[in-house]
Amino acid sequence: MPSSVVRTRPEDLAARLGVGGAAEQGDALLRVVREVKNQIIGNKTKKLRYLHLGAVPKIVSVLAAASQGGAGHGDAAVIVQAAAAIGSFACGVEDGVRAVLDSGALPHLTSILSHPEEKVVDAGARSLKMIFQSKLAPKYDVLQEKNLKFIFSLLDSDNENVTELAACIIAHSCERSEEQKALCDAGVLQKLVSLLGGSSNQKDACLNSIEAVVKYNPEVSSKFACIDYGKALKALTNLILDRRHPHTRFLACKCLIAVGQASPCHVEELQIKSKLVLVLVELLEEPGRVGDEVPFSLKTLIEDNEELHKQALSVNAVEKLCSFLHMSSINERRLQGLLIALAELSSKLEECRCQLISPQVLSLIIDALKHDRTDVRVAACYCIRNITRSLKNISAGCLSSEAVIVQFVQLLDDPSKLVQIAALSALCNIVVNGATRKSVLIRSEGVSRLVQLSKSMDSALRYVSVQVLRNLLFLADITDKECILKELTLSTLASLVYDSDCSIQEQALALLNNLMDGCDSIKHLFAEDNMILDAIMRQLKNSSSVGVCIQGMFVLCNIAARSELEKDSVMNFLVPSHEDSCNRSLAIKFLQSKENSLRVACLWCLVNLTNPNSGGLSRRVTRLRDAGIIFQLKSMLNDPCLDCKLRVRMILEQCTEFETTQG
Amino acid sequence: MPVRVVESSTPSQESGQDSHPGRPRPPFCSLLSPGRAFSGTQNVSSLQKDEAWKVNVRIQGVDLDHGYLCGTMEALNVPLADTPVVTFWEGELVDGSNYTFFTGKWEATPEDDIRHWSKFPSFAPLSSQVKSDGGKNMDLSNYPYIFMRWKEQYFVNVGIDCGLTIAGFYYVCFSFSDGSINGFYYDPNSSPFQKLELKCIPGGVAGYTFSSHQLL
Repeated sequence: MPSSVVRTRPEDLAARLGVGGAAEQGDALLRVVREVKNQIIGNKTKKLRYLHLGAVPKIVSVLAAASQGGAGHGDAAVIVQAAAAIGSFACGVEDGVRAVLDSGALPHLTSILSHPEEKVVDAGARSLKMIFQSKLAPKYDVLQEKNLKFIFSLLDSDNENVTELAACIIAHSCERSEEQKALCDAGVLQKLVSLLGGSSNQKDACLNSIEAVVKYNPEVSSKFACIDYGKALKALTNLILDRRHPHTRFLACKCLIAVGQASPCHVEELQIKSKLVLVLVELLEEPGRVGDEVPFSLKTLIEDNEELHKQALSVNAVEKLCSFLHMSSINERRLQGLLIALAELSSKLEECRCQLISPQVLSLIIDALKHDRTDVRVAACYCIRNITRSLKNISAGCLSSEAVIVQFVQLLDDPSKLVQIAALSALCNIVVNGATRKSVLIRSEGVSRLVQLSKSMDSALRYVSVQVLRNLLFLADITDKECILKELTLSTLASLVYDSDCSIQEQALALLNNLMDGCDSIKHLFAEDNMILDAIMRQLKNSSSVGVCIQGMFVLCNIAARSELEKDSVMNFLVPSHEDSCNRSLAIKFLQSKENSLRVACLWCLVNLTNPNSGGLSRRVTRLRDAGIIFQLKSMLNDPCLDCKLRVRMILEQCTEFETTQG
Repeated sequence: MPVRVVESSTPSQESGQDSHPGRPRPPFCSLLSPGRAFSGTQNVSSLQKDEAWKVNVRIQGVDLDHGYLCGTMEALNVPLADTPVVTFWEGELVDGSNYTFFTGKWEATPEDDIRHWSKFPSFAPLSSQVKSDGGKNMDLSNYPYIFMRWKEQYFVNVGIDCGLTIAGFYYVCFSFSDGSINGFYYDPNSSPFQKLELKCIPGGVAGYTFSSHQLL
């Protein structure tokens, strides 16, 4: 029997869609909608083509007309095909989601959820799920009672597509803690847990939803953990062991991690966390999204927990992560995750750092420093920063090649501030040891770039760059010190000591300390009208930051380790003559501090001022006595801090020796 | 400090580590901080001849939480060596929590440990307790001496074929009050009780100077 030829060109089909005009009716319309649906499923190009032809609003009109036209069989078939086509447009193409939303599809799709025919409900629920998987979909305000009721009505459905939809809506809409609490108080978590026994898709949707409701919320997490005396936690723990469903295992891991983070007391047993480590390390081998996302979850789980780092190491996590780094076709997301996980693992354990310094692994991490993606460059920098927390590695010349240092210097000009900070952090460790490294940095214009960054408007950049300069000056030789100071200039140094941020003042003073230690750089303190010395003294007088005072006192200590002139300068400041009474109590004030390190710093200064090999000792001892400092020291003979107690004795012995000699 | 190779030895893999987080630890001592330098000698005399090498030590890092410190050791007048020989060492702080007085590795038996620790006069008050359990429950947080083991890990400026060995390790005692360091080198294949004596270098012309680094 002859039949009409269905023209399948998108232009033709699009023209025949919709209501009225050239639009088809009845079975012909059904065929057209089905044909469009079949063409676009899994075909992004076709989706874009139909979008361009304005097909989405037309199909939404078809859906609207059909869903209002009664419950006849013909209508149902059209509704199913239209809903499926709309869902497909919303899947994987942002413009498609926008078009679907702009065409007002949501109310029509929602209304068909109460259609008497199951297949229509299925089609509507599937379509809505696709829409709610997009970030562009509107949030359901779960604080409104009617919305909460609606979600519950979906959760109570016998249709798994509908319950999955409810879980998707919750995962998509629940962001703020009050929303989490409202959902929790309404009993959503119990309902979701009861649905964990359903199909794999339903489980996954519920797990996503549970994670959204408990994340970062201690109260809700705690309630979740207590559901049916721990039944919910037990259900999750069982799911992470089910090897048949890697995606479900992973989502269950994420839920447990979220509960553990928000409410540590409920997932505190190392046993559960150890299991999680084991499962996540196993899941690293999964292809696709699960494998891509697992390293991020592993990092979250073990973050700052040395025991869990050891656990991960014991199940060969580092070898596994490194083996993926070696793969040639690794996507950006996975590469970032691998580097982040390796950075975390090498943050504390020397054993892990040692595993990463093999030339093969190191070269892959170094290559990642040049990656196009900012996230990957940042992760690679932090990985190297943590590897170089090992002084053993640094001293062995690990990462000391000129090429590596030059690469880091280039990253200081990266357009991303995050990369700049990460690169500075790595440099901070790399430059600690080794004259070669310091010289390379000076030669490669690294110092001039560091100095520029130390003047940045951004305090985070200023802070880390000053810290790199501080480490660069640690045990540097006099030539390098002079070279760095020439670039830095005294006025920049003074402005850093006066920085508005206390932590930067502290770093600047520590930098000065390293500059003054063991060489003639001390002369710079007195240059340009005592600019630097005045800055130090002013901060010591005025700062309320203990860190600033400690570093400032160590600078004075280094000055007081020099000749008479320098000792007297320090003495005049710390223990001024009677006429200048406003400063009188500074030494006493620091000696009476509750901070051990500040007392120690002040005591070392006094050890140097009472050094028996200095000519002006008599004058200084008398002044210390007159100012009540010897009395104060005697009261500290049993200082609770052993270091303080022994320095006090050292000073008093030096003073006594002097008096005995004089006597 | 390296000594001449007599015979190769393989250190045991057993660990003397005994982790009890939260227990008292040795207090921070400003004279045992990164950057601090020490100078002195190591007596390497044997039955054949009297010999002492000049030694410089520099502390590179200290991590009291993990009972860890590290540094470099430079031996200056090593016979047949063209240049001073520098090694990198890692140390275990005996704190009763991370590490006890019992080494448990490097071919050192508890008897070897007691024999060496007993060479330090400051060990005498602790001796009886250490003999029973290695000092596992000992609170050394207010003791004016710090006991350590230093184990050289690698040569910094010469190759491993330099004819020297770093197979042994040092039992070390650091004095809080003046920063002096005494030690005994232990290697079953080297002369016994080679004594290391180091004094803290103040750093300034008339006083102590300090420098510091901070790892991120």
